[in-house]
Amino acid sequence: MKRKILGKGYPRLDALEKVTGAAQYTVDLKMPGLLYGMILRSPIAHARIKAIDISKAQALKGVHAVVTAKDVPLNIFSFYQWAADKTMLATDKVRYVGDEVAAVCAVDKDTAARAIELIEVEYETLPAVFDAEEAMSPDATLLHERESNVCFEVDRVVGDPDKAFAECDYVCEERYATDKVCHCCLEVSNCIAKWDQSGRLTVWTNTQAPHTQRQEVARILGISTKKVRFISSHMGGGFGSKLVLDMKTPIAAVLSKMTGRPVRIQNSRSEEFCTAKTRYGYTMYVKTGAKKDGRLWAREIKVIADCGAYQDKGPATLNFSNMMFAAHYNIPNVRYTGKLVYTNKQMGTAFRGFGNNQIAFACESQLDSLAAKMDMDPLEFRMKNANKPGEKMHSGAEIPTCGMSECMESAAKAVDWNQKRNQKGLRGIGVANSLHTAQGGRYYAYAATDSFIKIAEDGMITLITPAAEMGQGIHSAMAQIVGEELGIPPTEINVIGSDTDLTPYDLGSWGSRGTFVCGNAALAAAREAKKELIGIASEMLEVKSEFIKLEDGQAVAKAPGSPEVILPMAEIMDYTMNKRKAPISVRGQWADDMGPDWDVPKEWTKNVRSWAFGTQIAEVEVDEETGEVKVLKVIAAQESGITINQKMAEGQIEGSVVQGVGYALTEKQVLAEGKVVNDGFIDYKILSSEDIPEIETILVETGDPEGPFGAKGLGEAGLVPTAPAIANAIYNACGVRCYELPITREFILKSLKEKKAGK
Amino acid sequence: MKHQIEITVNGDAHHLLVEAHQTLLDVIRDLIGFTGTKSGCEMGECGACTVVMNGDAVNSCLVLALEADGTEIRTIEGMAQGDKLHPVQESFVENGAIQCGYCTSGMVMASTALLDKNPKADIEAIRKGLRGNLCRCTGYTKIIKAVESARDGEVT
Repeated sequence: MKRKILGKGYPRLDALEKVTGAAQYTVDLKMPGLLYGMILRSPIAHARIKAIDISKAQALKGVHAVVTAKDVPLNIFSFYQWAADKTMLATDKVRYVGDEVAAVCAVDKDTAARAIELIEVEYETLPAVFDAEEAMSPDATLLHERESNVCFEVDRVVGDPDKAFAECDYVCEERYATDKVCHCCLEVSNCIAKWDQSGRLTVWTNTQAPHTQRQEVARILGISTKKVRFISSHMGGGFGSKLVLDMKTPIAAVLSKMTGRPVRIQNSRSEEFCTAKTRYGYTMYVKTGAKKDGRLWAREIKVIADCGAYQDKGPATLNFSNMMFAAHYNIPNVRYTGKLVYTNKQMGTAFRGFGNNQIAFACESQLDSLAAKMDMDPLEFRMKNANKPGEKMHSGAEIPTCGMSECMESAAKAVDWNQKRNQKGLRGIGVANSLHTAQGGRYYAYAATDSFIKIAEDGMITLITPAAEMGQGIHSAMAQIVGEELGIPPTEINVIGSDTDLTPYDLGSWGSRGTFVCGNAALAAAREAKKELIGIASEMLEVKSEFIKLEDGQAVAKAPGSPEVILPMAEIMDYTMNKRKAPISVRGQWADDMGPDWDVPKEWTKNVRSWAFGTQIAEVEVDEETGEVKVLKVIAAQESGITINQKMAEGQIEGSVVQGVGYALTEKQVLAEGKVVNDGFIDYKILSSEDIPEIETILVETGDPEGPFGAKGLGEAGLVPTAPAIANAIYNACGVRCYELPITREFILKSLKEKKAGK
Repeated sequence: MKHQIEITVNGDAHHLLVEAHQTLLDVIRDLIGFTGTKSGCEMGECGACTVVMNGDAVNSCLVLALEADGTEIRTIEGMAQGDKLHPVQESFVENGAIQCGYCTSGMVMASTALLDKNPKADIEAIRKGLRGNLCRCTGYTKIIKAVESARDGEVT
């Protein structure tokens, strides 16, 4: 199919606003009577609250309200209600340094900060546990009133792994671990809550999931969702951190109700590092076995996930890891055991890659360990085991389209694999593959959404979409999809969203689902609009519909034997408004055909229906003197289905790779007695412009049978293989196998020394 | 106690009363109302609040309002001439150097100051010159490309 609009690198729709400073983010909003809220957080990792005295804070001039758990609804909350374990403000206990204890609102920030200082809390310190494996022991201190700190478990088997390992010619068994890392959105988490005269709550916030958070805040406050409206402005990044509701929203809501004024609560950068949640740290015991001919035959993993103090996205993350583990390469015998364990630390949440990054680091590293044992080239080993299009996996997962071999081939070609694998000095390359969902997940037993298109009397096209724009460019992608169908450049399409009163219900921007789900709904709406426009043009021109197409913002009719006739959109609209006396407003829907009996636990392998594969090859240089690993280049071949916007797709991959290099080498949250020590960008090192490798992105177009025009989501996938590709490159460069992220200079130096000493 | 200062922002003189602890960032965002300049960390670590002060790129969160007395400030709102974008802005748009946009104002200001001082800045100078401006979305690749392309006059 010849594409006119898709694939082109149109500037983002919001580029002009953003580059001139005109774009308004939630932090920029002002409104009359706005009060500043602030949260008093626990300074202790685990303690009983014995007494709170708020009288001094209340007496301070300029303070409008002070609240503790006694003053707020105490509905217990978690992302999954069955896992509910957290109240808005701590009742009897605090469970991590940062737990919400009390809150104030005042005329300005300085007064609010002073009021926080005046609140007196008496704590009784309890023993705390910071290590997930220690927290599993029977005599460990318990965070919640349950029998164990293990709060969620997954146990799944495909085939017969025990028998299969015995049949393997080569088996490799290792322990891998990853640390908690932070999202580091440049705009901190913040909100304004305001109750109006009619008893309705409006929340302005930077959220990836306005409709879901609307339900969540209603649950916490114990009010009807009908009473709640969420509005999201431009957003300074999300990456998963702005998916599940943060308690500052219901707290601001309570303060607003008490004072009758709008209340803003905004994280400081330190609060962002200490309380805005992290990626889950995993400890993984992995075992992989292969036959002589290179066929992967059995694999098992035992995951211990460090939950932090509350469950949040933990259960879903463990489940997702399991899906990826069981579908990456078609291995006949697989066992996955996952445990989510409470610790007295900041809780984890969704983070770009969602449990796949941890698993990919362990499994893709181990594939190289196994390849080394087998004396087989790691790329060849992966080629032999590559997933194939149309394959039904042993696990039951179905892979309709798959570009894994193409990704590997194109990446290897771009780097000259054989030559680069045998470099002199401490320089080397490594490969890692990934698969990731290209359309979110079906595990909420709901995957559907609507979009609306209205065409104004002058021909102006407006798309109303629930796709949540967090900076990834989803609104621009929607415009490009609609533009392709209607023959109009995306720059001429008006996209409106981000307000739950206006947009149809949608789960939000996560799981790389926006392009697929919202894109399909937008395309369906565009098809309806096209049908109407062509129908009217047909009536006006007395030419059959089949001979009319839409291009360059007009209808072009070319009937056999007749000259071409052009009809501008405005004329079609004038005709329909004034002659047919009817406007054009249409609806498009995409709904998953999962059916009413969809059983998530039973059919877990079908949780993803569209997959995106990718390969990354990293080239590194290791400094023998300092242990420094320099990533020189990353080649990222990523399946895009079809590319909607070249520059935006590359931008997603480049951003992912750089986050991946940070995950591999520099990012780590350092704790002392549960308190985050590195709560700023100086000590928590994300990459700067000076630190980045050269990145070459290759977009592999395989087409998805169900994606809009064949597109797959690619917001997360690019981060998944980066860390293992770097770890494998380090092994190729200096023979050191890295078992933990981040890979530190200390570890490399120590390992090089041990290697030299012949240990 | 408040102190009187006079600063010129994007060509306009402002006479303001400020507290001793207030920063240039507070003045620009809260007193004057140019919210294009962003606050990212208030510690001088992220560069989101970069403005140009007397020709130098500075973190406005690290400059006290009193220190800015008598200076000439340029913020992102002072870059375009009417509808005509500054070449650095144009280049950011054309090269896909913007995602969430929260670092963009600071990046554009830092890049402009860099090219004003060193119109032939090579890629190493650009990478080094922008190291104080963090971006979590783009991976910097397209930002660096945008600055190179502005340097080479590839945008008008």
